[in-house]
Amino acid sequence: MGQPGLNRRQLLGAAGGLAVAASFGFAALGSGADALASSARTRVRYWNLFSGGDGGNMVAMVDAFHKANPDVAVKASTLTWGGPYYTKLAMAAAGNRAPDLAVMHQGRVPGFAPGRLLDPWDMDLLTKYGVREADFNPVLWKRGIVDGKLYALPLDIHVQLNFYRKDVCEKAGLLDADGRLPAATSPDDWFEILKAAKGQLKKGQQTLGLHANDQNFSWWFFVAFYQQLGGTYFNDDQTQVTFDTDKATQVLEFLRKNVTEGYVTVGAADGEAFIAGSPFTWEGNWSVPYFNGEKIAYGAQPLPPVFGTPATHAESHSFVLPHQADRGGAANEGAHMLAAYMVKHATAWAGGGHVPAYLPTFKDPAYLKLTPQNEYSRPAMEHPATEPHIWFAGSTGVLAQRIGPVVAASNVGSAKPDAAARRMKSELRKLLAAKNPMDGRTAAQELKGAGA
Amino acid sequence: MTTPVLRKPRSTWTPGQIALTIVAAALSLIWVAPLAWALSTSLKTPTESVTSPHWIPDHFTLDSWDKVFEAGNIPNWFVNSVVVSVCVTVIVLLVASLAGYGFARTEFRGKSALLALTMAGLMFSPAILGVPLFTTVQSLGMVDTYWGMILPQCAPAAMVYILYKFFQSLPKELEEAAFIDGAGRWRIFFTIVLPLSKPSLSAVGIFTFIASWNNFIWPYMVTNNPDLMTMPNGIATVQNAFGIVWPQLMAGGLIAGLPLIIVFVFFQSQIVRGVAHTGLAGQ
Amino acid sequence: MSSTTVVGAKAVRPRTATATDSARLRWGRRLQHGGWFVAPFFVLYGLFVIVPVVRGLYLSFTDANISGDHTSFIGLSNYREALKDPLVWDSLWHSVQFTLEVVPCIVVVALLMALIAHHTVHFKWLWRLCFFAPFLLPSAVVGNLWWWLFQPTNGMVNHVLGLDTPWLTQKSTAMLAVVIATLWWTVGFSFLLYLAALQNIPQHLYEAAELDGANAFQRMLHITVPNLRNITGLVFALQILASLQVFDQAVVMYQFGPGPEESTRTFVQYTLEQGFTSYRVGYASAISFILFLIIAVVALGRMWLLRNREEGAAR
Repeated sequence: MGQPGLNRRQLLGAAGGLAVAASFGFAALGSGADALASSARTRVRYWNLFSGGDGGNMVAMVDAFHKANPDVAVKASTLTWGGPYYTKLAMAAAGNRAPDLAVMHQGRVPGFAPGRLLDPWDMDLLTKYGVREADFNPVLWKRGIVDGKLYALPLDIHVQLNFYRKDVCEKAGLLDADGRLPAATSPDDWFEILKAAKGQLKKGQQTLGLHANDQNFSWWFFVAFYQQLGGTYFNDDQTQVTFDTDKATQVLEFLRKNVTEGYVTVGAADGEAFIAGSPFTWEGNWSVPYFNGEKIAYGAQPLPPVFGTPATHAESHSFVLPHQADRGGAANEGAHMLAAYMVKHATAWAGGGHVPAYLPTFKDPAYLKLTPQNEYSRPAMEHPATEPHIWFAGSTGVLAQRIGPVVAASNVGSAKPDAAARRMKSELRKLLAAKNPMDGRTAAQELKGAGA
Repeated sequence: MTTPVLRKPRSTWTPGQIALTIVAAALSLIWVAPLAWALSTSLKTPTESVTSPHWIPDHFTLDSWDKVFEAGNIPNWFVNSVVVSVCVTVIVLLVASLAGYGFARTEFRGKSALLALTMAGLMFSPAILGVPLFTTVQSLGMVDTYWGMILPQCAPAAMVYILYKFFQSLPKELEEAAFIDGAGRWRIFFTIVLPLSKPSLSAVGIFTFIASWNNFIWPYMVTNNPDLMTMPNGIATVQNAFGIVWPQLMAGGLIAGLPLIIVFVFFQSQIVRGVAHTGLAGQ
Repeated sequence: MSSTTVVGAKAVRPRTATATDSARLRWGRRLQHGGWFVAPFFVLYGLFVIVPVVRGLYLSFTDANISGDHTSFIGLSNYREALKDPLVWDSLWHSVQFTLEVVPCIVVVALLMALIAHHTVHFKWLWRLCFFAPFLLPSAVVGNLWWWLFQPTNGMVNHVLGLDTPWLTQKSTAMLAVVIATLWWTVGFSFLLYLAALQNIPQHLYEAAELDGANAFQRMLHITVPNLRNITGLVFALQILASLQVFDQAVVMYQFGPGPEESTRTFVQYTLEQGFTSYRVGYASAISFILFLIIAVVALGRMWLLRNREEGAAR
C-alpha cells in the first residue's frame, strides 16, 4: 500500500477515535441527546398511550398548553398501548426514573400500588390551577381516591359502542323517524337486525365487526352483557367468587352465535370493513375520529341491551403522578399545571369520542354539537359496566390477560361456552386467592386493611 | 479464493453453472424481496401503502423519511445506538482480550476454577435471567442510564473463550524474545500480542458490534425513558402518536437496519471471515 | 493413549542450553500473578452474571415484587406454583414447538444456500450479500416488517401467493408466521458457517475423487457430507440454544401480546410478563430457572456428545 492508503487509514482511524471518544463522552454525561438539546427551562416529562385519533388530539392539546404556558416545555412520549405501557411505567417508577406525569386507566390504579409506584396529587396545587372536585363526575372522582388521597385525576370515560352505517340500515328499513337505530332489546331482536342488514350486502362482506379473536375486546363485550344480566364477580368482602356460570354461558352463547350465524368474519380488519360498507362494528368510542375522517354516514350507540338492562363496558383515562423519590419543584408543578389544563379543556379531547369527566364541558355548545357523541354520551355515562374494582382488574390488567383469551376462545369456537364459563370461574378463584405482589395481601385482606 | 475452477480453458458457463446460477438468483430474489418491499412501502404515501399491494409507487415521495427524521425520536435513538454499541465494542475488546490472554499465557491461583466459571457463563443470557439481572441493575441505580445498557453487555464469556483459544495458538517465541529485550508484560501485551491478533480482534469486534446494535431484549428491559432508547427498542415500544403509518414504520426500520448493511457491502469479506471465525470457534 | 505420547514427546525433545534459558525461566515467573489480566473481566462478569444468578436463586424463594419492598421468604412455593401453572407449560411448549420447527428449516436452507454459493463460479459475493443481509437487521425491524408482510388484505405475502390467509390472527398460522420470519432473518448466519466449512474442505480430496471417476453426486456423498458433520452439529446446537430463548420477533409481530388464542406466548415472554407486567419478580425468577435448566441440559449434552466423539476418534 502506498502513501495515500496510509493517509486514508489515518483519517479512518481519527474518525473512529473521535466516534469512540464522543460515545464515551455521551455515556459519561448519562443523558440522551435530546435532553442535552433542550434548553434549561422547566421540562415536564409526560407519558401516554394514545395513538391514532386520540394521539393527534393529545398532541394538539399539549401544543395548545405550551402556547398558553411558554415557560413549560412538555416532552410527551407515546408508548405502545396496553401491557407494554404499564410495564414501562412500573419499571420506571420502581427504578426511580419515572416521568413527571402519566396517563393511566382508572381500573389499573388499585393494582399500581398507590403510595409506592404512584404519588398522590397535591390538592393545593390543583386548586391553584383551577381543579375543583365539584366540577367532576362524582363516581369517577371518588374512584381515584385511595386512603383519603387523590391518586387519579379523571379525564374521561370511554365506552364500547355499536357503530352502525346509516346508509345500509336505511336501505334495510331499520332506522326510526329520527334516522337512528332503535336499540335491540333481546338476542332475537338483535339477530333480526343483523339478518335484515345482511340482505343488503355483497357476498363476502361481514355484517358485524366483533373483534371475536381479540382478548381485550372479547373481555370488554363480555363485561357489558354480563352486567346486563346482573351478574357479579365477587362478594362485597372479596372473599368469595360469586361468578354465575349460567349467566356467563348465556353471554358467551350470544357472542358465539354472532359468529356461527355467519355475521362475523373472524380475523377481519373490523374498522376498515366498516368503512368499506359493513353495516355494524363494535368498537371503542376512540374510533369516532377515524370514522369521522372517512365521511361516512354512521351512528353510534351503547352496546344493545339484549338482556334487558342497558349497560356497556366503560373504562376511564386519568392522570397520575408516577412515584419519584424527590417529587417536587418546577417539574412537579408543571405536571399539575399540565394535567389541570387538559382535564379542563375536555372539549378538544371529546373530539376523540371520549365522554369528558369534567362536567362543565357538557354546557359547552361546541361539545353538544359533536356527532355521534350526542347520541351515546349520556346513555353510556348513565349505564357503565366496569370491571370489578380490585387490584388485578383494569384495562389490559392481569384479569383481562387471564380471562380475555377464554372469551375469545369461546367466540372462535375452540372452547364450548359452558366450559369456557367454568374456566373463567376457576381463573377468578385463582386470582382472588392470589396475593397482590405489591403488598403481599389478597384482595380481601386489602379491603379489610389487614396486614400480610 | 478456493473456487473450484476445474476446467480452466473451457467457458465457466457450463449448463450446470447456468442452472445453479438461476437457482441462486431466484433464492436471492426471495431473500431480498421483503427488504425491497419495505423500501417500496416507505416511498409511498400512507394512503397508497394500504391499497392493493404493488411494487412501484404511483407517487414517489420521501415524505415518510422526512417525517421520521424531523418529528420522531429516531435521530435521537440513532445516537443512543451508536453510543451504546461503540462503548460495548471497545470495552468488550479490551476486557475480553485481557482475560483471554490472562487465561492463555499467565498463571495464577484459581485459574482453572475461574476458567470453568467463565465456561459456565456461556449458558446465561439476559433472555434467561432477565428479571434478576434487572433487579441487580436496579439496585446499582443504573436503570434508564447508558451504563445500565452498556455494562451488562460487556461480560461475554464467549468472546473471552474465542480469544483464549486464539492466544493459545500464537507462538510463544516472539513474546519471549521481547521479554529478553526487557519489555514488561503489559508492554508485551499491547505492543506485540495485540497487533498480532488483529484478525481475531476484528472478528470479535465486528460480532460484538452487530450483536449490540441489534440487541433488543436487554435495552428493552432496562430503558423506559424514550429519550434513552436505542433504535430497536424505540421502534418496537414507542408509537407514532398518529397510529400505525406503514411507510414511516418501514422508513424507520430501514434507517435502523441500513447502517450495518452498508458497512457489510464495503467490508464483506472481513465480516464474513469474522462471523465464521467467531461461530466456528465454538466447534 | 495418544495424548500422553504427545506430552512425552515434548518432554524428551532435546533442548540446547543457551543464555536465554534463564530469561525464559524469569519470563515464566513474571507470568505468575496474571490475575490482573482477568480482573476487569471478572468485575463485570461478577456484577452482571454471577450476582444475578445468585440473586435470582434467592429471589425465587421469596415473594419479591418489582418495587423491592415487602419481600418475605416463602420457601418452595414459587416452584410448587410453577409446576401447576398451565401457562408455564403452554409457553414452554410454544418455545419448544418454535425450536422444533425453525431449527431443521434453518439447517436445511442454510446448507442449500451454502452449497449453491460455494459451487457457483459467478457473483458469489452477490449471493452472500443477499442471503446474509437480513441477519444484520435488528429483531424489532424484522418483527415490524413481517407484521406488515403478513397483513391479510394488503400484505405482500398473500398478494404474491394469491391467498387471503389471516396469518397473524388465527391460531393455526400464528407460530408459522414467526418461524418464517425467523428463518428469513437468521439463516444467513448458519449459511456463513456452512460456507466457511465448505471452503475448508481440502480441494485435493475432490480432485483425487474425480480422478478415481467419482461423479458429482458421489463426491458430495463421500467427501462433502462427512466433512460437514461437525459443523452441522455446531449449527444445530447454536440454533437450538438461541431458539429456545426466542422472544424479540414474536413479541414485536404480536405487539407484545400472546398472539391469537395465546398461541405465540414464548417462555421468555411469560417470565418477563410475570416479572414486569404482573410485578412478581420472585415467581419470575423461579420460572426462569426452568428454562435455565433446559438450556444447561442441552449445552452439557452437546459437550458430552463432543467428548464421546473425540474419544471415539482418538481410539
